[in-house]
Amino acid sequence: MLPADLREKLERTIETADHPRELAVDVMMALQEHYGHLSDEAVAEAAQLLDMSEVEIDELATFYTFIYREPVGRYVIHVCDSLICWMDGYEKLRDHLARKLNIAMGGTTDDGLFTLLPVCCVGYCDRSPAMLVNRRVHGNLTPEKVDAILDGLRESARSADETSSG
Amino acid sequence: MPTLTIDNRRIEVPEGTKVIEAAEALGIMIPRFCYHRALGSVGACRVCAVKIVDGTRKGVQMSCMLDVEEGMVVSTDDPEAVAMRRHVIEWLMLHHPHDCPVCDEGGHCLLQDMTVSGGHGLRRYLGNKRTHLDQYLGPRIQHEMNRCIQCYRCVRYYREFSGYRDLGVTGIGNRVYFGREREGTLENPFSGNLIDICPTGVFTDKPARYFGRRWDLQRGPSVCIHCSLGCSVTVGARYREVARVEARYAKAVNGHFICDRGRWGFPYTNEASRPRAARVDGEATTVGEACAAARNRLLHVAETAGSEAVACLGSERAGLETLKAVAGICRANGWADPLFWLERRARENVAAAVSLLGDDLVLSLRELEAADCVLVFGADPLGEAPMAALALRQARRQGAPVFVFDPRPVELPLDFHHVPLAIEDLPECIRSLVGAAGDRETARGADPTVRSFTDQLAEPSVPPPPEAVAALRTSRRPAVVCGTDVTDAAAIGLAADFAALMKAQGRRAGLFYLMPGANGFGAALAGTEAASLEELLPRIEGGEIRALVAVEADPLGLYPDRGRIEAAMRKLDLLVVLDYLDTDSAAAADVFLPSTTVFETGGTWINQEGRIQIVRGAHRGGIPVSQTGGGGHPPRVFMEEVPGGQAAASGQTLTRLSPAEVKGASEWVRLPPDTDKQSGTRAVLPDPSALRFAPERTALSGAAGDEAMLTVIAVDRTFGTEVLSSRSPWLSAEETAPTVWMHPEEAGRVPLSDGDLLEIDAGGGSLVLPVKIVENMARRTLVIPRHRDAAWQRLGATRLRIERDCIRKAQPVGENAPVKESPPR
Repeated sequence: MLPADLREKLERTIETADHPRELAVDVMMALQEHYGHLSDEAVAEAAQLLDMSEVEIDELATFYTFIYREPVGRYVIHVCDSLICWMDGYEKLRDHLARKLNIAMGGTTDDGLFTLLPVCCVGYCDRSPAMLVNRRVHGNLTPEKVDAILDGLRESARSADETSSG
Repeated sequence: MPTLTIDNRRIEVPEGTKVIEAAEALGIMIPRFCYHRALGSVGACRVCAVKIVDGTRKGVQMSCMLDVEEGMVVSTDDPEAVAMRRHVIEWLMLHHPHDCPVCDEGGHCLLQDMTVSGGHGLRRYLGNKRTHLDQYLGPRIQHEMNRCIQCYRCVRYYREFSGYRDLGVTGIGNRVYFGREREGTLENPFSGNLIDICPTGVFTDKPARYFGRRWDLQRGPSVCIHCSLGCSVTVGARYREVARVEARYAKAVNGHFICDRGRWGFPYTNEASRPRAARVDGEATTVGEACAAARNRLLHVAETAGSEAVACLGSERAGLETLKAVAGICRANGWADPLFWLERRARENVAAAVSLLGDDLVLSLRELEAADCVLVFGADPLGEAPMAALALRQARRQGAPVFVFDPRPVELPLDFHHVPLAIEDLPECIRSLVGAAGDRETARGADPTVRSFTDQLAEPSVPPPPEAVAALRTSRRPAVVCGTDVTDAAAIGLAADFAALMKAQGRRAGLFYLMPGANGFGAALAGTEAASLEELLPRIEGGEIRALVAVEADPLGLYPDRGRIEAAMRKLDLLVVLDYLDTDSAAAADVFLPSTTVFETGGTWINQEGRIQIVRGAHRGGIPVSQTGGGGHPPRVFMEEVPGGQAAASGQTLTRLSPAEVKGASEWVRLPPDTDKQSGTRAVLPDPSALRFAPERTALSGAAGDEAMLTVIAVDRTFGTEVLSSRSPWLSAEETAPTVWMHPEEAGRVPLSDGDLLEIDAGGGSLVLPVKIVENMARRTLVIPRHRDAAWQRLGATRLRIERDCIRKAQPVGENAPVKESPPR
């Protein structure tokens, strides 16, 4: 169930649009922010908010890379697989990440920390190969650099958990 | 008009024609998947590539996206274009499964044709194919997503053309998926067209699966008889069984599509319960003996009680040959006037509509799509004639506003203005619009009849809806659609006046009536003086009429006063029934004679715009092999006789049982020599202009204001009420359970809440139905579907007024007693 304040906020935003469907992506992102991913329930809620059919929402949801229709880990790693990154070692980078996290492309680690997904070009061609971690971009990646990023993420997750439980 | 050259042949086509259409006009079929004439161009599949040798854009181009230009030179067989098409097809075929031998589309598959003709004969791709999970889409359509080539025809048809929203395309790239959000029956009552429009086997006809390849079927052009529009269909039969019905292109009527009622309404012809043998007093016998028995008994009645003591009843579902035979047998024997209608109101309404519909005003279904403003009076297009709703949607897509003046909670796949007025207020509403559209200013140029009509028009008691008046003011091609099912002759007449007035103002106005049955128009023409059973009933009850011959008609099952008709039938000495359905009347007949269906002997049908369409049977008929063989192999011995093959066309049987010779049997239906066999011809009717602008229609009716009264109307629904298609097992899931619709205000007065049971005491007894409370309908009105479980036959009439104290809340005990109270005879 969507919290009443979020629902109201979205309804207010939608009212300002000429056509509700203009805001479909914004509403889906807001719901994903709330649920962690765009669940079936969220699709139904978006459809209801925007006066669209569920399949019309799902058409958009399944089109976009950054809308997740399944639960994802705390850190979603998008490895760029576009042409420039591919020339500069995307495959090695992908294999390294998969080995390090012990998951295949599309998978989520058992501890729920990491999800590995591809993305096609994030505009970082001048610093390829590149990857995104929760919207933060990392370029000129080497296996060492990737290890350091993963260790840093694990550390910040641990300290965040300790803060919240303590 | 630009002239261009395609493959060294010149052709002149209108401005704005696409190259693919110009080539088609020359007989050159450029390969296509995404392009479809009804849907237009999107340029998605890239398979219609041609080489533009001369023109603004030279080189390989998509012929569906390119407008013709003066002097353009096109080559469809240029090696570069051919290679492009071959590669595109190979690429589209990468993931297509190699399942043609078990695919129902095989043999009439556009993808097969294009693959072979495009020159891609051998597969080179050896990798894994992408696969999808299929969805359950209901009992009628089989989903097989692996076959998809992503042409988007299905979604464009489903969403843009027909206006439903539960089919979509999800995913991206190789994962593109055409389906629903979750499994379930498609909500679109025109969903069957997905089967025809899909270029391959993603959507196939589920009931017809694995029954036979197209070339195995006995196929023939036919016409749909499940409503008055007369859409063109193609029938496919095998093993004495009709297997499937497909849409057949008809330029002036249905275009490329048909509704699901028409596509899957046919099982009545295959039913195991269909009466195949003649019966006399309940004993099976030969048709010859039954005819002789009927003739002798009819003769006996005529000799003892006078020839006027015999009556013959046809119906609006029978072909014109049958209706003319009914009229002919009555005339030849001096029987009572032929009957074609059960109710007087139906007879009068259709007679009024037929007499007022002239060549100057009549619109075809296709022309209705071109209207720029549509006013619908007393009609529920989706319920009464589904394809009309699709035509209204096309008009709306072109920008025409659509106004519906009807008491029912009308639903349409388009945005429209609904004015839910009481049905008695309808004439007054049309009158007010006539007044608004026909003020002296605009009527000045019109002829004296029009002027005096508008001058005499009483001041309307209610002002016309301002949006409709505003839309009419600027309309150049207004269309008036009027129903004949719940309306009365006054509204029907005013609708014609309204259209004629706008015509007189110099606009291209048109008129489009909806009628009951497939041949209501024919029934009105077959006997102009013909009465209805309702008007004849007192003479049966009084013992004057002693014998009744019912031809493809079911007075017992369908007369709206079951108790009264049962009593009347008991008074008869003789009931002869000719039919192909196991109706209540057939069960009660003293002499029963089996008839053939439209699939077996064809016939002539006149649709609601007066278009005469002649069709022939698609197969010989008889009991389906699946029934005689008990599921085993068809018999290995040849027989002279077809099992269950005794049935003959009703018209022929009638002449056999007629005591007097019916003359000129072959000349009953004579058509003008220039009749176009493909699209039919319009019946030639007397000039209706004298009947228009009748002064009596200018006066106020003002009948509905009475707060003490309620109006009950029994109505047609898309599924479950039409006599033939309501027998289809594949459509029964789509029937909405019978309820009585009420406005919240009326429900509050009883008081009732949604789902409560309502008891109605009407002219023909009492009935109990659950209540469905809806906002978008008229006050002082109860709407009941003519569903077999609704016991509407106890209402006494299909439209009636009752006192408010005739309705009350009922306790939820038991169910409606079946309408058949006692064995009728």
